Amino acid sequence: MIKVEQLKKSFGENEVLKNINVEVKSREVVVVIGPSGSGKSTFLRCINRLESITEGRIYIEGVDITDKTTDINQVRTEVGMVFQQFNLFPHKTVIENIMLSPIKVRKVAKDQAREKGMELLRKVGLEDKANVYPDSLSGGQKQRIAIARALAMEPKIMLFDEPTSALDPEMVGEVLEVMKQLAKEGMTMIVVTHEMGFAREVGDRVIFMDGGYIVEENVPSEIFTNPKEERTKSFLSKVL
Amino acid sequence: MDFRLDIIVEYAPFLLKGTLLTLGLSISGVLIGTILGLFIGLGKIIRNRIISSPFVCYIAFFRGTPLFVQVLIVHFGVVPLFIHETNGIVAGIIALSLNSAAYVAEIFRSGIQSIDKGQMEASRSLGMTHVQAMKYVILPQAFKRIIPPLGNEFIALLKDSSIVSVVAAPELMYWATAMNTQYGRVWEPYLTASLIYLVLTLVLSFLLNRLERRLATE
Ligand SMILES: Nc1ncnc2c1ncn2[C@@H]1O[C@H](COP(=O)(O)OP(=O)(O)OP(=O)(O)O)[C@@H](O)[C@H]1O
Ligand SMILES: [Mg+2]
Repeated sequence: MIKVEQLKKSFGENEVLKNINVEVKSREVVVVIGPSGSGKSTFLRCINRLESITEGRIYIEGVDITDKTTDINQVRTEVGMVFQQFNLFPHKTVIENIMLSPIKVRKVAKDQAREKGMELLRKVGLEDKANVYPDSLSGGQKQRIAIARALAMEPKIMLFDEPTSALDPEMVGEVLEVMKQLAKEGMTMIVVTHEMGFAREVGDRVIFMDGGYIVEENVPSEIFTNPKEERTKSFLSKVL
Repeated sequence: MDFRLDIIVEYAPFLLKGTLLTLGLSISGVLIGTILGLFIGLGKIIRNRIISSPFVCYIAFFRGTPLFVQVLIVHFGVVPLFIHETNGIVAGIIALSLNSAAYVAEIFRSGIQSIDKGQMEASRSLGMTHVQAMKYVILPQAFKRIIPPLGNEFIALLKDSSIVSVVAAPELMYWATAMNTQYGRVWEPYLTASLIYLVLTLVLSFLLNRLERRLATE
């Protein structure tokens, strides 16, 4: 479903991704962990080309998204992204946030977009918030709305960049719950997170990144109990 | 010192007409300037240096040279290229619009750049094009922040429009000067004109404050 080949990314002189090769299968949940500055966000942002790619290829369902002739907007409709800072549109109500892209990009009729939006709000447990502005919501609620907004485009893949890192601890659970549900429904997901419990429970595979490389990857049960690499060991000993 | 109310009364109809033209000049200047300024501001933030440089130069020129000179250039140089007989009002509107466009462009630019980068990224990640993201997400938020400085620009333009009296556009200052020439009096014409400008700017800032408060509570 996603195939990353020899991906390299530099910001000026600073090479942030050095040689990344990953394959993600359909319905798979891949969790990316690693210390701050290791390139996790950059890696995710390359997959929907929020960052330009310095070298290498990325294929999504066989389509080379690094090719200049590929319509990147089309690709992005298939790849949803959830950000640490939510990035809801503050000038629009919750339901308008969700309906905007389906209407403007997918050209869905308004009624239909609203219906679908309400359905998604029910799914994340916030249908009573349809007509309020994001400012009046808690962090956990905002992030659930952001997930619903991404889902409204009916993506085949969802990328999560530390979706719970900006939340108060008591709100982390409600967001993880929505993500677990999504995984159960078979969504293909790449999740950058520090929530090791989530990684263990939901992840099919864990990737440990450090210094722009994938240092180690394995199924959660293996990587958490029996890490092979020294760097993985020392990272895990700090976070577990 | 005697103060001749009678000549003010005599000139009242002209001063009134002049005031209306002053308002007309400033309103059209700020309206056209806003439309032009939006495009120039958007042009300036284009990443490609070659495309953005004309916009950068435009802003630098109109902000870096006196409005007085711009009015003269437009009146005696630019307008005669297009219409046979040059016209102070037309030249005034053009010069004020071009000038305010440069200031408005900067207002737009800083308004747009003050919107969190995450807004553009979220929009793009949802499949919107750059133009769609600007139109539906960035600009509507930027507009709100732009209204106060835009109002200030309007007030500044209202005062600056007095300069176009040098090309005989019969606005407020033109009539005040005519009064001064006819009667050789200083205080009556210029105090009266000042008072009218003051009332206009005070009313405008009052309205602007109310609008700002309304927007803030929204
Ligand atoms: N837009 C940018 N311009 C220049 N350097 C950048 C940019 N974005 C990221 N970097 C650099 O790239 C490196 C990797 O950043 P990245 O955000 O991918 O790390 P991360 O693993 O997500 O870290 P964190 O856990 O703190 O989010 C860092 O050294 C960062 O300073
Ligand atoms: Mg990050």
